[in-house]
Amino acid sequence: MIRRHPGLLLLPALVPTLLLLGAAVVTLGLQSLGLMPLVGAPRLSAEAFRSVTPDLATSVGLTLAIASAATALAAVVGLGTALLVTSSARSARVLGLAAAATVPIPHLVAAAAVGLLLADSGVLPRMLGLSAEQWPDLVAGPWWVAVVLEYAWKESAFVALVVGAALATRVARYDETAALLGAGRVHRLRHVTLPLAAPALLVASTISFVYVVGSYEVAWLLGRTYPEPLPVLAFRLFSSADLAARPEAAAVSVVTGLVAALVAVASLLLARWREQVRA
Amino acid sequence: MTPPPWDRRVRVGVGVSTIVALGLSACAAPSTTGDTARSQAWSAVLEQARGETVRMWMYGGDPQGNDYVDDVLAPAAADQLDVTLERVPVADTADAVTRVLAERQAGVDDGKVDLVWVNGDNFATGRQAGAWLCGWADELPNGRYTDPDDPLLETDFGTPVDACESPWHKAQFTLAYDSDAVPDPPTTLAGVLEWAEEHPGRFTYPAPPDFTGSVFVREVLLSVSGGPDAVPPAFDRAAYDDLAPDLWERLRDLAPSLWRGGATYPRDAPALDRLFADGEIDMTMTYGPATLTRLVRQGTYRGSTRVLPLIDGTVGNASFLAIPASSGVPEAAMAVADLALSPEQQVRKADPAVWGQFTALDPSRLPAGAAAAFEALPRSPVVPPFPVLSRNAHGELDAGWVSALDEGWRREVLGAGS
Repeated sequence: MIRRHPGLLLLPALVPTLLLLGAAVVTLGLQSLGLMPLVGAPRLSAEAFRSVTPDLATSVGLTLAIASAATALAAVVGLGTALLVTSSARSARVLGLAAAATVPIPHLVAAAAVGLLLADSGVLPRMLGLSAEQWPDLVAGPWWVAVVLEYAWKESAFVALVVGAALATRVARYDETAALLGAGRVHRLRHVTLPLAAPALLVASTISFVYVVGSYEVAWLLGRTYPEPLPVLAFRLFSSADLAARPEAAAVSVVTGLVAALVAVASLLLARWREQVRA
Repeated sequence: MTPPPWDRRVRVGVGVSTIVALGLSACAAPSTTGDTARSQAWSAVLEQARGETVRMWMYGGDPQGNDYVDDVLAPAAADQLDVTLERVPVADTADAVTRVLAERQAGVDDGKVDLVWVNGDNFATGRQAGAWLCGWADELPNGRYTDPDDPLLETDFGTPVDACESPWHKAQFTLAYDSDAVPDPPTTLAGVLEWAEEHPGRFTYPAPPDFTGSVFVREVLLSVSGGPDAVPPAFDRAAYDDLAPDLWERLRDLAPSLWRGGATYPRDAPALDRLFADGEIDMTMTYGPATLTRLVRQGTYRGSTRVLPLIDGTVGNASFLAIPASSGVPEAAMAVADLALSPEQQVRKADPAVWGQFTALDPSRLPAGAAAAFEALPRSPVVPPFPVLSRNAHGELDAGWVSALDEGWRREVLGAGS
């Protein structure tokens, strides 16, 4: 049975995930449509969506911008790291260890560390002897620099690990073969290494992007108070003293989920299209 | 080429979701009438409390408060009541209320929350949903030392207390400043705003709905409207539409003179305190002036930090302990609430070296020994005594004002400034 359907081995992990996720998503849907109120009678309405609409456009835009910037940086740095790690450079081991050590640090801890380092009166400006006025507004500033940097740092380690693993087993052989056939360094990078890394890079970037879209604590700690990314907006509404704001929080979460799902589907389609083009 | 296996997976997913949906649709909102505590003799309450564990959820951002509960109140509860008191720290009291409401929605009657240090707007939220146990707070033996006509103890942010919560201590909204940087401090709130405009970048306030930022905005409302009597305490939309535009205009005018030109605000009171501690701003504000003494002694704040007395007075309120209707050990929670209100505990808590919170008891009703103990408390070099601090104090506006102003501020001031 298991030999014929190896997917069955996934069931113990899949069933609880689906149950939890399903329950959460359904609850969210019901709450956002006014069917599961904390007080009063359930009544189907789109009121919650209507009342968050004014904030939604800016929040979606901001969330996508932060996620794009962070993912792009993470992909570039992560790919570079992976290439160095799989090369025979002397620093490869150290780099590999650094990337592996970065992944298990919780984002919350990393965000607090970045805050301590980059804030107006943080460690870095103090070490450089700069006053708060001379230091750029990286934390809670208009360009969300600290937020993007934190995500880029943490996610680049993740990208490096995934891409590095995909390259490690195969790249050396192909690379040597290409070199024997007379390909130069640039040619080998363009025609051997990058095509081998691309599928893993796409998957890792997608995971990073979706993670950033749904993550709350980094933007809350290091971002400014207005405008708000989707998860921060949702959490503020959820913890509002006004019970009527709960459906609005659910509505924002539904939108966040949809944005993340759209990106994931787009990435899957892109991956499939690439395969078809090559086949 | 094999067809993609999506169809099967989608079918399974839809099936699971349907089952979950059916299960959930059985839940409707619980009733909003709060439960009332069983009426019983106090000795019976103490008897049932014995051997139980009370989980007390409270704002965990104040180390002195945490230490008081862990090192003074909890040992006393173990000694005198045989009750184990567990402190559960939360970042925001709303988290505790959220938990209580979720338990209520799930029909739990032995919840994880037994006692909550609650503030006015969260108390109102819980009342709205009928989440608090009522009719017990006036039965506490130590309640006889409180003044029954004290307006601070009768309503909490405009919500009648109705014996659904027991007083713990009193608080006074207070501004503090660095007397080296501000040699000639303003004496009114309007003066503070003018001072801020004359010293760009040296003043700011936390963004509502932060508790402290929210009260600052209400204080400015009272100031620009012409004093506490000009704003009806009960929320009414017409008064809001009438008074709020001036408030928003004043705060928008102020914004360019704030820290970072008002393009952003500290997101909560600890963030504001950090700016003050780092010397980026010259004034801070707090609902718990008691903490200032220790912050100065520790060197977090400079020794030149002083409380700023305002002629027009600031808002005072009382904070309370509430018992969720979903608690499984209401008797033990009541016993702890009573212990917390005892003259002995209130004196310990009022000591600036312990926590420095102002007592909720009426000194004139205390037995001679306890009154003398309050008199004998050491004075703080930073914070004047409560009668001075609360001169010309006024009451809180209704919780209705709080959410309307918080929301209005986000739209009218925050949205406009960036």
